[in-house]
Amino acid sequence: MSRLVKKSPSVCTDLPLDNADICNKLRLMRELLGSCYGPTGRLKQIHNNIGGRVVTTSSSSVLLPAIASSEPFVNLIRTSILHHVRRFGDCGLFAAIFCLSLVEQAKQSGLRAKAVIRSNEHLASLCTDYLKQGGCGCKVKLDLCSGRDLVALARSVVSSKPACVLTEPECVHISRLAVRAFLLTVPCDTPGSVSLGQTVRVSVEGLPVTHSAVVPGLLVDTAEDVYLSQPCSLPHPLVLFSASLAGDLSELGDGLIEVHPRVDSDSQVLSQLLELGNQVVRDGVKVFVCQKVIHPVLQLYLTSHGVTVVERLGVTLMEPLIQLTGAQPVATLHSAVQPTAYGQVGGLSVRRFGSKTMLHLQACGESAICTIILCHRNETMLNELKVTCQKAEHVLRLALREPSALRGGGCTETHLAAYSKSEVPALGRGCSQTEYLRAAEAFCRSLESVARSLEHDGGTSTIDPTHAHRWTRPSDVATERRGVGAGCCGCGSLDGRETWTSAEFPPADLLRDASVQPGVLDSFTAKLNALQVAVETANLALDVRYVIRDVN
Amino acid sequence: MSAKLTNFLLSAVQIMLGSAVLNSRQHIGLQRVSALAETVRSSVGPNKKYKFIQDDTSGESVLVCSCFRIIESLEPTCAVGQLVLETVQAHHKVYRSGSGCLLLLAGAWSRAALDCLHRGISVTNIISFMSEGMDICLDVCKESTVLFEDLAVTGRRTAAPRGVEKTFTEAPQGSRHMQRATKSDDMTPNMSVRRKTKLSRHFCETTLHLDEPDVPGVSHAAEMLSHGCEGSMKLVVEAFQLQSKKNQELRNPMFDISKVMTCVLPGLPEGRACVLHGCVVLLSHEQVSVAHQIKERRLKVAFINGDLTHTYRHLGFKKPPGVQPVSERSVPSGSSKEDEWLEKVVEVFLSLEVNLILTTGLACESLIQTCCRHRILLVERVNSPALRLIANSSGALPVTYPTQLSEHCVGTGVQIFIWTDLSSYGRKPAAAVNISTGGGVGLVTAVITSCVDGKLQALEDQFWACAHRLHHALKDRVLLPGAGATEMLCIHHLQKAAERHSQADADRAQETKTGTAAGLHRGHVLQLMADGLIDYITTVTVNAGRFSAVEARTVVSRQLQNFHRDQIMAGKFSQLALEAEGDASADKTPAARIYDNLSVKQEAWRKALDLVFLVLQTDAEVITGTGRKGEDNLMLL
Repeated sequence: MSRLVKKSPSVCTDLPLDNADICNKLRLMRELLGSCYGPTGRLKQIHNNIGGRVVTTSSSSVLLPAIASSEPFVNLIRTSILHHVRRFGDCGLFAAIFCLSLVEQAKQSGLRAKAVIRSNEHLASLCTDYLKQGGCGCKVKLDLCSGRDLVALARSVVSSKPACVLTEPECVHISRLAVRAFLLTVPCDTPGSVSLGQTVRVSVEGLPVTHSAVVPGLLVDTAEDVYLSQPCSLPHPLVLFSASLAGDLSELGDGLIEVHPRVDSDSQVLSQLLELGNQVVRDGVKVFVCQKVIHPVLQLYLTSHGVTVVERLGVTLMEPLIQLTGAQPVATLHSAVQPTAYGQVGGLSVRRFGSKTMLHLQACGESAICTIILCHRNETMLNELKVTCQKAEHVLRLALREPSALRGGGCTETHLAAYSKSEVPALGRGCSQTEYLRAAEAFCRSLESVARSLEHDGGTSTIDPTHAHRWTRPSDVATERRGVGAGCCGCGSLDGRETWTSAEFPPADLLRDASVQPGVLDSFTAKLNALQVAVETANLALDVRYVIRDVN
Repeated sequence: MSAKLTNFLLSAVQIMLGSAVLNSRQHIGLQRVSALAETVRSSVGPNKKYKFIQDDTSGESVLVCSCFRIIESLEPTCAVGQLVLETVQAHHKVYRSGSGCLLLLAGAWSRAALDCLHRGISVTNIISFMSEGMDICLDVCKESTVLFEDLAVTGRRTAAPRGVEKTFTEAPQGSRHMQRATKSDDMTPNMSVRRKTKLSRHFCETTLHLDEPDVPGVSHAAEMLSHGCEGSMKLVVEAFQLQSKKNQELRNPMFDISKVMTCVLPGLPEGRACVLHGCVVLLSHEQVSVAHQIKERRLKVAFINGDLTHTYRHLGFKKPPGVQPVSERSVPSGSSKEDEWLEKVVEVFLSLEVNLILTTGLACESLIQTCCRHRILLVERVNSPALRLIANSSGALPVTYPTQLSEHCVGTGVQIFIWTDLSSYGRKPAAAVNISTGGGVGLVTAVITSCVDGKLQALEDQFWACAHRLHHALKDRVLLPGAGATEMLCIHHLQKAAERHSQADADRAQETKTGTAAGLHRGHVLQLMADGLIDYITTVTVNAGRFSAVEARTVVSRQLQNFHRDQIMAGKFSQLALEAEGDASADKTPAARIYDNLSVKQEAWRKALDLVFLVLQTDAEVITGTGRKGEDNLMLL
């Protein structure tokens, strides 16, 4: 007999932004993410409550998935920022802090939500239009022909992650590697539409960071005593299986199979496998790769016929290997391998990194696949380094599409704030002039608060009226920021000697002076999108009237 | 799911409201590192104090000796504790020594960082100044290295004076006993009753004569690296000499520790420890008789990677979930599947005429019995790298299933020797048998023996620590003056740099009135780092046993003053710990010195500082998942 439990009614929260609990949670999230922002940001230790692994990080791509909230309203903001991070890889913390402080400022200003939304929309389009202009004061053209700009861009990403614990030379080394790996993924002279290759990251714990390297081709984990086929004739034909060759009946899936007791299914599958091996050997294949397990009998058969065998490749390496060799993955063992399915390998060697033995597969001709070996002293820092390198690669790829960057270190934000203030208010429907002015003020304050979030040691941030750049005055007056000299602005293109005069917009142009190249660069595409995501999400959050939850 | 947040810094709510500077001076994470480091204080240095670690829930307790074992057995559960453990484990995996140095310095430098926070120095500055201090220390290390060859040469000339031995024999072994004491440990007394050394006629001693100086001076240099574990180091040197006899490369000797195995054997006196070619396995009673029949002959041998049971399938093989045998009429089941399999396997063995089968996994009892009847020795649970090496040298191919075996998979030329008869019964090992290829693979096994069960782990750890020290010394080709000399030099340089900064800043401040606190702060941080190293030396000196904490501090500071006065001349390193230990015998002959590994020291220091940096920069802990309620300093997101 089943017992009926009365369904409890849904819970409805009216005006979630007036709810103190939700506001507290939003503020907590802003402070949590804000404290991670920038090169001197604080780290967070993430673990679950039953004693799982501890992750130490300050990057949004790790942090945001972890801080799931019990409050759907908070999750709404979190997921939309997370989507931006997954798509663009960078500026996640910027988007989160900006969005949350927009909501907070709007709440504090006491303006009607509709008016704030309207002016936010207007201001955001104003800013994006300005950023897209050629003469924008915070945009820097990237010279893709020289490595210097790319390294500077990569370095800004790498140095903004303090959990990597890199020294200055190590930071430069990693940035250079990131650029080199990126350049290797750009195909040289392919006619028609160009598609970028892939970088595979391999991590080795316990070696110094400076042992990290980039190699063209693929590095594949292998057994210590891997058999290497003799380099009789290059290139080596290769065959790649995506089906399991373990000799089991896993392909059949679940369900009941009825067999005659005298039928030995194992040996039948094995003979099928050996037939396959026989064909492959006849076709002169020298490298035999399987995504999954290979039956030991087949392995022995292959190696005794001079074939190098790699098993358990893993699904992540399948795509790069297909690109590298041009092989078609074979998905079944019940039919003969088509001759078109074979790929080719240009070079084969065994390389050792620390405790790892790896097989180095090189392409026959030109290929856009490379492997970056990342070394670090402990696993926590190594994991963060991996995330950081992925981010750097993403940013570099974005730069290929739009070869410009934004001034980093908070200077873009302050500059945009100054620009928004200077613009003549354009009145829209449903928003009075005073309302617009106050909303614009809140918008600028939010932008400036993002820039201020870069400072974590109690220093004071100031904005100069001449160039609208961001300056910091440390609390203990002893700060020497790494890389950027003592008296520099956030992005490092100005030093303290200049006098501040005018307070008009547009601020004095520094692009004329070619010698001043900002030291800190942000990805243009990522930041532009982050700005839009932040404003749209904040507007949506301001627009939410009810939160209805089914509590059953 | 919801996420909870605890603040590292004392008051969670206040911090989150933004009064960060005021509260960050009480950094809980750094305090935890420092507290964890305190647990190993008495075990740092060559003279170790033992600790009992008891588990309240299970009632089990364990007596531990090395710093690594202490921190491992403590199983710290807090997030910082896990980070500490992870760092120490990563270090231990590669170097097998220096964990104590790492932990103690991490603790000392955590306190230094806390002190800096108290003085209002920003986190960014603490990190950049401390990195600067580390650079100074690493430079000192680089400059004060001694070439390994030079040491080896002096060793040969002085021909190992007796005085050395005397200083070294104040080792901790022997006097203290270490015992793994579990509540229900009825094994130890029983075994000690049974284990009387029986001198049977099968008793076969394989002592090796190791007096030929293969690589001159290595044994002498190794002695200087033993750090109080002479017994273990002697074994290591034997292992090295056995190995290098094979590769004959005198110019650039290497010690390949991947080809060194250990075999622990309880119930024998420590003096029986030795090093043998090949590997050593323990055999049961019935296998011993087979071993006696086939010993000292050149055998045909097969190698199996995996278990020898009829149900065993290779890794990654999935059994189909629902296979059901169906037939029209019931098949007469004369013999079971297992019997069929057994018959087939034995047939394979017999047709190939193998006498010895080595497997990495287990074998079913009936197969072992059958093999014994056919005079085939089946050895289970062989270490898989050892199996691979022996297989390589005998020209065999290890296979997964016995049915795979064919003529070309079988190796030849392997010999077995019965090392010692343990004369026990039942499933307990009855004899230790040495399986040797005699060929040039360089696989050697150290047999570590002790009457006290609980001590075996410590002895094995000591052996590996010594082996890694020698390995890294030969790899680095350089050594550092040990017993605190390098640290002294680092302290000296750090203090000089600190003075310089403070002085320069004072001058500048007088001139311009706008002098920043940068120099002052930098000087302060460097001084605190030096204090951390002083703390380390003092601890080692105290642990050496002759001085109390206060006296040790006085000795260290007196040494430092002398240092400053003499302005360090090369070769005038005073070896503090040695002096503390020694008596009249420590008459400063160059041979009496202690040396440290360069790479081990550098990595330990750097990892200690990494740990401090990671924790120093962390300001909050995010706990995911629904959790306990009622903790005040938690904030729910």
